[in-house]
Amino acid sequence: MHKASTIREDGLYHSFCGLVSVGWLYQKIKDSFFLILGTHTCAHLLQNTLGVMIFARPRFAVSLLEEADLSSSQPNISAQIEEIKREHHPSVIFLLSSCTPEVMKVEFEGLAASVSTPEVPVLFVPASGLDYTFSQSEDSVLQALIPFCPPAPPEDKRVVFLGSVNDAIADDFSLEAARLGIPVAGFLPASHFTELPPIGPGTVIAPLQPYLHKTATQLRNERGCTVLSSLFPFGPDGTRRFWEDLAAQFGMKVDLSDREAAAWERIKRHTDLLRGKKIFFASDTLMELPLARFLKACGAEVVECSTPYINRRFHAAELAALEGVRLVEQANFHRQLRTIAETKPDLIISNIITTNPLVGQGVVAKWGTEYCFLPIHGWAGVNALVTSFTRALERHAKLDPLGADPIWLTGMMPSSPGGVISLQS
Amino acid sequence: MRLAYWMYEGTAHHGVGRIANSMRNVHAVFHAPQGDDYVNAIFAMLDRTPNFPAMTTSVVSGTDLARGTIRLPETLKQVEERVRPDLIVVVASCSTILLQENLEIAAKHAGLQCEVMVYDANPYRMQEIVAAESLFTDLVKRFAQPQPRTEHPTVNILGPASLGFHARHDLISLRRMLKTLGIEVNVVAPWGATIDDLRRLPAAWLTIAPYRELGLRAATYLEEQFGVPALLDAPIGVQPTLRWIERLRELLAQAGVTIPMPPLTAFSLDGMSAPSAVPWLARTADMDSFSGKPAFVFGDATHVVGITRFLSDELGMPIAGAGTYVKHQADWVREQLAGYVDDLLVTDEFQTVANRIAELRPELVCGTQMERHTSRRYNLNCMVISPPTHIENHLLAYRPFLGFDGADVIADEVYTTCTLGMEKHLIDLFGDAGLDLPEQAKTAAPPEPAPVAVTVESPKPVTEPVVATVAAPATVAAPASVAPPPAPAAPVDPVWAADAEAMLKKVPFFVRGRVRGNVEKYARQHGHAVITAQVLLAAKEELGA
Repeated sequence: MHKASTIREDGLYHSFCGLVSVGWLYQKIKDSFFLILGTHTCAHLLQNTLGVMIFARPRFAVSLLEEADLSSSQPNISAQIEEIKREHHPSVIFLLSSCTPEVMKVEFEGLAASVSTPEVPVLFVPASGLDYTFSQSEDSVLQALIPFCPPAPPEDKRVVFLGSVNDAIADDFSLEAARLGIPVAGFLPASHFTELPPIGPGTVIAPLQPYLHKTATQLRNERGCTVLSSLFPFGPDGTRRFWEDLAAQFGMKVDLSDREAAAWERIKRHTDLLRGKKIFFASDTLMELPLARFLKACGAEVVECSTPYINRRFHAAELAALEGVRLVEQANFHRQLRTIAETKPDLIISNIITTNPLVGQGVVAKWGTEYCFLPIHGWAGVNALVTSFTRALERHAKLDPLGADPIWLTGMMPSSPGGVISLQS
Repeated sequence: MRLAYWMYEGTAHHGVGRIANSMRNVHAVFHAPQGDDYVNAIFAMLDRTPNFPAMTTSVVSGTDLARGTIRLPETLKQVEERVRPDLIVVVASCSTILLQENLEIAAKHAGLQCEVMVYDANPYRMQEIVAAESLFTDLVKRFAQPQPRTEHPTVNILGPASLGFHARHDLISLRRMLKTLGIEVNVVAPWGATIDDLRRLPAAWLTIAPYRELGLRAATYLEEQFGVPALLDAPIGVQPTLRWIERLRELLAQAGVTIPMPPLTAFSLDGMSAPSAVPWLARTADMDSFSGKPAFVFGDATHVVGITRFLSDELGMPIAGAGTYVKHQADWVREQLAGYVDDLLVTDEFQTVANRIAELRPELVCGTQMERHTSRRYNLNCMVISPPTHIENHLLAYRPFLGFDGADVIADEVYTTCTLGMEKHLIDLFGDAGLDLPEQAKTAAPPEPAPVAVTVESPKPVTEPVVATVAAPATVAAPASVAPPPAPAAPVDPVWAADAEAMLKKVPFFVRGRVRGNVEKYARQHGHAVITAQVLLAAKEELGA
């Protein structure tokens, strides 16, 4: 096995809570409801991260622990479950943990079981901000779904794609599989709780998202299925490897080199721009490894790739492709700022918290968070993927350079009225 | 326990972050799980901070808890090294406060050069407003020093803060008026203030603290402790601004200086016009129709009082109702709005406010971001007058709420938000004026009758996903775990007979939702299970719909 050299720091970096993945999962699983047992803090988090995007009728809510509730170690949520059933009619309710009940040592499995019925199961999802970071709790949600995937007999040799992607991307993958002659059993998660794919020893699990190693491992252990170990299907390089390796699982040898070359040719204008550019990953989505690998394949110089967690087995192929790149797990933000000042990257992929301030320091930065929502998978996603990087570079290059004078930042922020604290400090 | 979808106020640590991010060289450190770091994003996004917000989360992970590790001292060292603050305010989170750790000892352990203050904000007892106000008051008490007054008359302005509602704009408006009066500013705080600035607060001749939510207690303290008089009114509207200037001059006269009143034209932007066009606008024929446009106002204490009185006193609009989510200011709001509002709504549950709006169907809703959602659902006109806000409320141009300039801004917003007068009459008379769009297919009624279960069309091609669910207002209805249930209307919803439905179709599309709601309300009140054309006519007669 490849041994990538990674640096592990103290984890003092900016990030969102894992609960935020509710924002896409409730839309993906259309007959679901997400109930967080939490506090005012959780509700404020959701309001500020999701409320600005989704106005209508969210299928997520917080069962709010107030001071009087802190004394009982096993809160009663049955009234809220009834309210949710009455108003939203979900097929499944996910009960998510959060920091406070975790500290209170609420026994969540029991709590979920006490309100679960065969008609509307209530499934416990560990998601507290004490243990899970942004995008990680999708893994917990999918784990909770595993018992509801019907068993498949050993002779049922088909692929199940793992990870929530929108319906258009799912169609792309189904069509591509059909074209290559790969039989498809379905997607985990499916668009409805009632449509979960059968999984058994013959199943090949093909992960579409890089943050789902717990689900993949559990499926391997419990259902005896095979987990595809390949690159994730991002970019021409990743997509080719993904399909070739997946086809190999079905005893087929396919050569997609022409397809890959054509895809690179189509985005040549963009890869020309990226070649030699210094890129720094300081984001928190767990998408960092495959994105950095793609940029490396584009000819960019990845000066650092920080990511919350690396799983050596699940990410093995990506780690091998990233050999030579400085990889940091659980990065320290203050140290990152020093490294940024030293290496002067052309583009920083950061998170929503640090992007505007980094731009204020005079570097080009873009939201890494977007990669959780952009259609960047497979052959069809190549253009969206590459332009997401070059758009920021091109736009900043186009703006009148006079606007970069720190005078235009004066007074924009009451706590630093005189402009910016330089990165070199 | 209750089911919560959206919140009006932020958390205590968010309130602490607002003070830290307002002040220079003050940094907040949250002893909290990484999940609590999201408050940083609110500053970086809504305030579009070109620098890192002045707050750091000292991460507490599940592993730390298991091992008994406290990373706070190490974080404090890193923060001091990077930002060199004068003061660090440490605060626990809703989860870490349950651990009952001694953060004073942990903080001392770091051995910092700068001052460290462990701020005891119990997130179960205080939210954003009280946490910010208490911290700011504590800081003023801790640092303000006795000292002689400034040579020339100066004033403090307390209250503007990071993420404050139109705070920068209000500050400009206040400064403009003070400049016209020839009064200098001693200190603005917390906005842009240093610890040294807090020390200098007692040198002012007067303190201006226009917001009930922030600065009020510090201003009162400066008055009691140092004899600096406090002007606590919010100059919202033209007449309140004139009275505010009078009061300012009176207080300064008592302090020993006569401030001559310049001609009013001196307060205008061009120096030669009336300082506000509102008094004239209100008297134009155009505005007659506004006497028939009831408004519902909901938000924080300062803005609800100011806007309600402005709409009523200066634009002559009827007030359908008002309310606030700032419970500890409810008595003050009630007192201020005596004669304007009979039953002030005091709640921090957005479903309850939504129910009240659905019931009242006002022509204008002045509210927060949440009332904007509700108004869109019911196809009502809405303007945002109070936090919580959306990024769309963080505009670049000068849009104060205070002072003469503020009166013009609010009046413009009211005017452009409401459905207009003459056009409305024409459309009312002749139908759709070609504006009507095909009605969307009606969704089935909600499965269980809810107190405000009205079907609402959304004829405007709204681009947001709200369209799809607009006809199912069950979210806002029947908050089962909330006691007592709001809107105790009759349990049975009237159904529409075909003849009445056909008549309703002839009502202009943009008021149809409101008419439908009003007629249903009428039918419920009068015990009609079926709304026939006769019932509709009777309702029209009674309601003037």
